[in-house]
Amino acid sequence: MEQERKGVVSSGMYTYNHHSDSGFDIHEIFVKTSRSRVLLSYIGVVFLLANVCQPLLSKEGLSSSSVWSITFGILVAKCLQYKPVKKESVVIMPTFGVQLEIHFWSGKVHRRFVPIGKILKPLLNECVTPVTCYWSLALLLRDEEELMLVFQKSHPPVKMLVPVWKALCKFLNSEYLANSSVSKPECPEHD
Amino acid sequence: MTHAYGKRSGVRYVTGGLKVYYVPWKPFLMQNTLPTLFLTFPIVRAILIREKISVVHGHQAFSTLCHEALMHPRTMGYKVVFTDHSLYGFADAGSILMNKVLQFTLADIDQAICVSHTSKENTVLRSGISPQKVFMVPNAVDTAMFTPSPERLCCDEIVIVVISRLVYRKGADLVEVIPEVCHLFPKVRFIVGGDGPKRVRLEEMREKFSLQDRVEMLGAVPHAQVRSVLISGHIFLNSSLTEAFCIAILEAASCGLLTVSTRVGGVPEVLPDDMIVLAQPAPEDMVQAVKKAIDMLPGIDPQLMHLRMKKLYSWDDVAKRTEIVYDRAMQSPKTDLLERLPRYLTCGAWAGKLFCLVMIMNYLLWCLLEYLQPTEGIEEVPDIGPIHAHFESVDDLCETQGK
Repeated sequence: MEQERKGVVSSGMYTYNHHSDSGFDIHEIFVKTSRSRVLLSYIGVVFLLANVCQPLLSKEGLSSSSVWSITFGILVAKCLQYKPVKKESVVIMPTFGVQLEIHFWSGKVHRRFVPIGKILKPLLNECVTPVTCYWSLALLLRDEEELMLVFQKSHPPVKMLVPVWKALCKFLNSEYLANSSVSKPECPEHD
Repeated sequence: MTHAYGKRSGVRYVTGGLKVYYVPWKPFLMQNTLPTLFLTFPIVRAILIREKISVVHGHQAFSTLCHEALMHPRTMGYKVVFTDHSLYGFADAGSILMNKVLQFTLADIDQAICVSHTSKENTVLRSGISPQKVFMVPNAVDTAMFTPSPERLCCDEIVIVVISRLVYRKGADLVEVIPEVCHLFPKVRFIVGGDGPKRVRLEEMREKFSLQDRVEMLGAVPHAQVRSVLISGHIFLNSSLTEAFCIAILEAASCGLLTVSTRVGGVPEVLPDDMIVLAQPAPEDMVQAVKKAIDMLPGIDPQLMHLRMKKLYSWDDVAKRTEIVYDRAMQSPKTDLLERLPRYLTCGAWAGKLFCLVMIMNYLLWCLLEYLQPTEGIEEVPDIGPIHAHFESVDDLCETQGK
């Protein structure tokens, strides 16, 4: 495997790592989470499950309070959906497309591939919510109404998003130029 | 920074390098957000830190977001300036409440701006702020946009233009003035632009006196089309019952129209005496003023009027004067919470103590926010020029394609 390390930037709870591997350009954002916090999150989930199961397994059977506690427990679990993220990465595959990956601490990996033809442009967005404001990197897709967020679970600082954005722009520009130079010989009559 | 308008939400870059934050708080009454008191603190703090703000300038006493957005920066130690654009009363319940809120905001302000001397007097009386802290910076008009018609209108038929929100505050007297003027002066025609609750009454008046061919109702006129409506008339009629400044008569004067207006609020300070005829806010007096204006018409030169307005009012001058206010605000001394609390106690026996409590809670909330989301965690916005960067990359692409 040919690996070439290109840069590492660390800031607060995020670390940016850029390297290439077998011709693929890989940008990674590591989320710093202490192991104790990960352990606590799993313990929290276990307690929640115990809280939900206790009324079901107890001899008194289901009462209105136990139904409420089960419903509340399910709602809290749904809202939290707490799966600690280890890293998010963007793998740029020349002539193919871009693969967006989320690596969890549990070992699970969630991958999404976006073919080159589907991407119109990468965008750096300032997102405003009722309580805060942050930068995000998104892909403008062909025939899609919604933008696709490149980093879904984490909010890295803009100084880490800019090199990824530049790499995506360069990748799309080079593909566009390659396609236009291929199509030129087919139209000789154009002046 | 303002609240979201319909689908317009997020960050918007406007010409001149202006950046607008449309925060997704929904308005609940007359374009005002619900008074949340403390809930806007996180987003205000985030914006102030990331944009490296020095001075926070709030507008309009009726805006709840303005009052909150001045309270939070004050707690954080920023300099704050407030501009009051309207006159308010003292007697009714709404005014009493509003004046108390204004007293709270202005108790600890660095500087304040009012748009006329009358407005300054009104603000000082309502809020109890020291007059030395209040600057008078009038509004202006874009004379490049509001130019008179190149061809002078013929005087066979005299056209009187009325453009305003058709609400009680802007003049219910029109209903009596228009039929009287039409009866006394057969050559006069009216053009009424604008919409609002009083429009129905004007339509009824039109029907009652059969003035359909002499009174034209345009409905709501977009601001971009106001000039084209103004230049079709000779006289501009303003019948407001209260007005801190009145930009509408500036726009009319810039288009070369002679103005007839009620002598209320700050209106007498706006135009020179030979460009405006003032009347008491009573129908008989207004009819007399219209008669005087019609007699003055042959001596009016729209182009000369426009040139005079160009010299009298410009937004550059307003910007320079506002900068002086900002410089003065930056020079005011730094104060901590203990020094600031006594200023709120002067607001009233009960209100003073309540305001102190609110500011203490605000300070504690700030400490909590500093712990949960430290200032170092909020990254500052880089000085990028998004439009220029985009054009450069497009130019590169075009050059490569052209080869």
